[in-house]
Amino acid sequence: MECRDFALQLDDWLDRRLDSVRQKSVQEHLERCPSCRRQHEHAVAVQRAVRELSPPAAHPGFVDQALLRATRPAAGSAHPARRAVLGAALAATLVLGVGLGVFLAMQPAPVQAVALTLERPETVRLMFNSAKPLKGATLSLALPANVELVGYGDQRELSWQTDLREGANLLELPLIARGATKGELVAHLSHGGSGKTFRLKIEIDNAGRSDM
Amino acid sequence: MPPVSPYRRTRPAASNFEDLLRPQVEYLYRLAWRFTGSVADAEDLVQDVLLKLYPRTQELLEIERLRPWLTRVLYRQFVDSVRKQARSPIVALVTGAEGEDNPLDALPAMKDGPEEHAERSGWRRLILAALEQLNSEQRAVVTMHDVEGYSLEELETILETPLGTLKSRLHRARQRLRVLLPMEPFSAGERVKG
Repeated sequence: MECRDFALQLDDWLDRRLDSVRQKSVQEHLERCPSCRRQHEHAVAVQRAVRELSPPAAHPGFVDQALLRATRPAAGSAHPARRAVLGAALAATLVLGVGLGVFLAMQPAPVQAVALTLERPETVRLMFNSAKPLKGATLSLALPANVELVGYGDQRELSWQTDLREGANLLELPLIARGATKGELVAHLSHGGSGKTFRLKIEIDNAGRSDM
Repeated sequence: MPPVSPYRRTRPAASNFEDLLRPQVEYLYRLAWRFTGSVADAEDLVQDVLLKLYPRTQELLEIERLRPWLTRVLYRQFVDSVRKQARSPIVALVTGAEGEDNPLDALPAMKDGPEEHAERSGWRRLILAALEQLNSEQRAVVTMHDVEGYSLEELETILETPLGTLKSRLHRARQRLRVLLPMEPFSAGERVKG
């Protein structure tokens, strides 16, 4: 057996899926080839490391709460208790966010306007800092005239359901300006009856246009 | 079909559901955590599955091997949630408060020093970071085969995926992990001194 053949059969060897003839052949190769032996040891060690990775404990009381939520007659909507908590967290964050700047930060901060070049795709990044995980938040975008989100044609209003993780969440918007505009991009984030609107001024840099 | 206790049938659905599912919830959570890499996401995934299953309690009572069946339901729910996320433009940069959920933490972990516990913690983060690099299908097959011990033939049924596809997914996932996880220290335990 060549080293190349061994590499091809390594997974089957690990899974004991080789017939006795091929098994013997692999065994013999391993005995005489230090390089493949190291490869095999590494593969076994990686497999063991993944297997031994123990999950952190769920939150205390999770099993009881999860079963209770599932069997409650009013449990038609997902995660009623958690949603209520998160909704409250968002509302509180929104209030604090205005004063302390913990909810939304632009990147690079604190710029509130962005310049696009005509007909040149550019990615605008918005950073959302969320104090708590927010599951099932709704993000809506309204684009100014002559600005498109790449891949969405001339759709001016778009909406997504998304989960925000605790900490920083990056919204990447590949935008392209098709003509002159003085408008604003409006992003609205809502969750559990609370919401916040963010506005970003879009300026068009004509440098890329030879006839202007 | 297994015998079904008439006693169970006459009990309230919530009691039957709890009797059936309580012994499985921790298993589902463990699996969900390995799929998602996050405590919060794993809990949400399990909750979603339980909410879906409760109206099907009667059907659950008649399932002979509940665990593989639940594994399939959890996997489908996971794939659905990944697809929903993929349609969103939001990209998570930093995950939950527990550092081990964050693959970016792998780098600082390298400075942990020689203490054994610190090394273990650093390796753990490296492994988590490597698993994070797998796509959801690769991660699921590694979890179910290499960790939970389902054979590929069992997974063929559970995941309703052809054997060849599963083998190739597993092969690519393992290759990726071997590339991402360096020879040291992952092979050290296998060495013979001298």
